[in-house]
Amino acid sequence: MASPEFQRDALQHLNALHNFAMYLTHNPSEAEDLVQETYLRALRFSHRFQPGTHLRAWLFQILRNTFLTFYRLRERESAVAEDGVPDWDMPMFHDAPDDTGSALEAHTDLERAMQRLPEEFRTVLLLAEVEGMPLEEVARVMSCPVGTVKSRIFRAKERLRGLLPDYRNR
Amino acid sequence: MNDPHDLSDEALSRRLQSELPRYNAPDHLRATILAAASARRRPVWMAPTLAALATAAVVLLFLLPVLPSSNRPDPVQRLARAVVAEHSRALMWGARSSTIMPTGSSWLTQESGIALARVFAGDDTLWLVNAEPVYLERERGVALHYRDRAGHFLTYVALPAPTLKLPDRARVSVGNWRPVLIQDAGFAAWVWKHGDLVCFLVSDMATADEAERFKEYFVRVRTATEPLLAY
Repeated sequence: MASPEFQRDALQHLNALHNFAMYLTHNPSEAEDLVQETYLRALRFSHRFQPGTHLRAWLFQILRNTFLTFYRLRERESAVAEDGVPDWDMPMFHDAPDDTGSALEAHTDLERAMQRLPEEFRTVLLLAEVEGMPLEEVARVMSCPVGTVKSRIFRAKERLRGLLPDYRNR
Repeated sequence: MNDPHDLSDEALSRRLQSELPRYNAPDHLRATILAAASARRRPVWMAPTLAALATAAVVLLFLLPVLPSSNRPDPVQRLARAVVAEHSRALMWGARSSTIMPTGSSWLTQESGIALARVFAGDDTLWLVNAEPVYLERERGVALHYRDRAGHFLTYVALPAPTLKLPDRARVSVGNWRPVLIQDAGFAAWVWKHGDLVCFLVSDMATADEAERFKEYFVRVRTATEPLLAY
């Protein structure tokens, strides 16, 4: 079991992880489940964390990997739906309550545009631009080289500009 | 205030930092996480261990019919079966060589590892058909094949078995000797030790009527044959 110090340090990043989870899932209930699952995994495998390395990047990496695992599982399940249409409203975690499962409504054009970005572009912008992570940490979370992170940031911004009405209407 | 029409890299970065709503965790989430983390969990090793044990049990279940049986026959019985099988093979194929192999030939001794200092070479009722080296139960040995007037086929086999002990309960008194009599697959076999060798005389004379004649054949072969380990 994780030490009290580890729990305390890990929980300092709760808000940032929840924010990231919201932008990944677009669903408050699923975001809570995703964050909870992330912490349970992190606390269970806290002995694998190397002290002195970046705890924040480690936690974000667990969250993203957990999300992708369930996301891919949901994609596979959707692929065999009877009507052949992917069911994007299906809960990512099967015990997610229905009453709080309403999808997140975008408040601004920017948020709406972010929601339409592919996951890898959305993630790289959220980590690098919103959370202010150094590129090395982003690379660790996304398990790719720093050069790839730079390239994804550039391409993500290009894609984001295309999705913003101000840019399209020019 | 950000200019919505400015979509340069720097402006986009500023807008992402300032305009995107931030979704902080609800108050209850921290407590939920701590409660779930402190709940008793199964040890991490339990699931893989149980899975491995279950897999091993299933594999064992499938392999059970082909695993070697624990109640294997005793060594004498096992050797007797091998000799009977050799006798059956010789009986079915007949004498494979048209010429009688000289039982004292150096080739036979070299191939079988057993020298025949003396050998029953046949008489007016029992004829020597052939002599050949054999390989039974991972041991080299020598086999002599005989045929009698009635057409019965007999096989004499000598194999090295220095540690083999013959069971007393199956011994039969025949003249001055007390060989073991074994019945297997419709065949009868006399079994006796000759120094470090074990000797067999097999035939299909397994009925009570033929028992006396089979005893006579045993006496003739036993008296006149002296196998020795050559090396």
